[in-house]
Amino acid sequence: MQVTQVSADGLKHHLKVVVPAADIETKVAERLSALAKTARLPGFRPGKAPVSLLKKQYGRSVTGEILEKSIDEGSKKAIADNQLRPALQPKVEVTSFDEGKDLEFELHVENLPTPPEVDLAAIELTRYEAEIPAETVQKALDDIVKANRPYAEPAEPRPAQQDDRVTIDFAGKIDGVAFDGGTGKDMPVVIGSGMLVPGFEDQLVGTSVGEEKVIEVTFPEDYGAENLKGKAATFDIKVTKIEEPGLVQLDDEFAKKLGQESVDKLKEAVEGRFAAEYGRATRMKLKRALLDVLADRYPFEVPPGMVELEFDAIWNQLTAEMQRQGQTFADENKSEEEAKEEYRKIAERRVRLGLLLSDIGTKNEVKVENKELQQAMIAQAQRFPGQARQVFEFYQKNPAALEQLRAPIFEDKVVDFIVEKAKVETQKVSPEELMKEVDEDEDEMLDVAEAADETRSS
Amino acid sequence: MNQERIYDIILAPVVTEKSTRISELNQVTFKVRGDAAKPEIRQAVEKLFNVKVTAVNTMVTKGKTKRFKGKAYRRSDVKKAIVTLEAGQTIDVTTGI
Repeated sequence: MQVTQVSADGLKHHLKVVVPAADIETKVAERLSALAKTARLPGFRPGKAPVSLLKKQYGRSVTGEILEKSIDEGSKKAIADNQLRPALQPKVEVTSFDEGKDLEFELHVENLPTPPEVDLAAIELTRYEAEIPAETVQKALDDIVKANRPYAEPAEPRPAQQDDRVTIDFAGKIDGVAFDGGTGKDMPVVIGSGMLVPGFEDQLVGTSVGEEKVIEVTFPEDYGAENLKGKAATFDIKVTKIEEPGLVQLDDEFAKKLGQESVDKLKEAVEGRFAAEYGRATRMKLKRALLDVLADRYPFEVPPGMVELEFDAIWNQLTAEMQRQGQTFADENKSEEEAKEEYRKIAERRVRLGLLLSDIGTKNEVKVENKELQQAMIAQAQRFPGQARQVFEFYQKNPAALEQLRAPIFEDKVVDFIVEKAKVETQKVSPEELMKEVDEDEDEMLDVAEAADETRSS
Repeated sequence: MNQERIYDIILAPVVTEKSTRISELNQVTFKVRGDAAKPEIRQAVEKLFNVKVTAVNTMVTKGKTKRFKGKAYRRSDVKKAIVTLEAGQTIDVTTGI
């Protein structure tokens, strides 16, 4: 076997491998005689069929098999000899083969880059934390109270007021014709809750029980139902009940109704929810900042094949999304080329970060423990109540799925590890500032995990 | 013998351990029509495979009597011809015509 390097350009290596015909022939002959020992052919006892006959029958497929094997072995050897670490499956191009001729094939390999050594201690990060403002908690509590207040019919019948709950029968018409979903009976409406078409609730003010009224509204342009957008409609309504909101004291009894022991406990629960939300935001910002630093400070060449793969994935997702929403690139004021350019950059960043993170992870022996996997699995199982057993079985049977669970955990742990080593300053910010841009970040995190996963498994 | 009959006489080669063994003696085995005569077989083989035949031996293997659902029936008889070729000549029976 002969391996020659045709060209090497950065991470791209182009090799040429020649396997002599004699090698292949002896291998085929060996394979055939091995086959002859067990072959069953009609007219012959098992293993007694002559090799020449077998060659006629199976020669082609055996040769094919041997060729495949030689190519496989050849590329492995070529890669080992040149000390390459392929990032992706190497591309093989057979240039010539014929019976009795040498097998020649070309190998296009993209080398896995060695990410630069990252000086973790030199990374400076700011951790943005937010206090939970007392007003926010109070407001949340007020909302809870408001949502849970009891309604009762007033002692003296009176016309409906703001904040009252009115029960109505209604029949909606556009141009005098009833439309789908425009009719209903006994629908409770809280005046001032803003749940219905703007203007509808306001016109209920001043009605009294038993009164019939025609309400005129115009559906807003951005209304959910396509056939109603911007249409003017009339609703024939009949008020059947008017109830006024009762007062609720925020006391232990009220807390108990919500499943909490006391007001303090309720307050704690609300605070806990905010704390968790802010904590997530804090972590996301920190991670985002860390990834930015890593991407900016440690540039290195990444295999174009991997970038291409990632780009294709992003692009397919994006175009599918756009198609579903009926958008085009023109809507966003940019040409398709510009968009492609932009997403190519994103793909490259993701690949680079994925490689870098997985490299840091392996170098520092960050490992995902079985226990952590188990926890993730349980979390998954809880998303499908009643089918926990099936979920566990699914993961037991699909190592690839398990790997998908492992990736984000691994990534999180690597990030934790880096944050631990890095210089981190803590800075207080307002909650609004903290929550800004958080949604956007979340999307990216997931993809880095995939990139990291790819490099590890290859 | 007319020309079409040449193509009708020889039905198939016999490829078995035994036939492979006697191929070393320059003999080739065929299944032939039941009513084929030795001179006909010689002529057919010579024409079809473009070889010289020195001898033709034939045999008829009688069909076995079998039973299916209690009813007896008989398998067809098969006539086989072992054709000896002139030294140095061969027929590759596995490739077909």
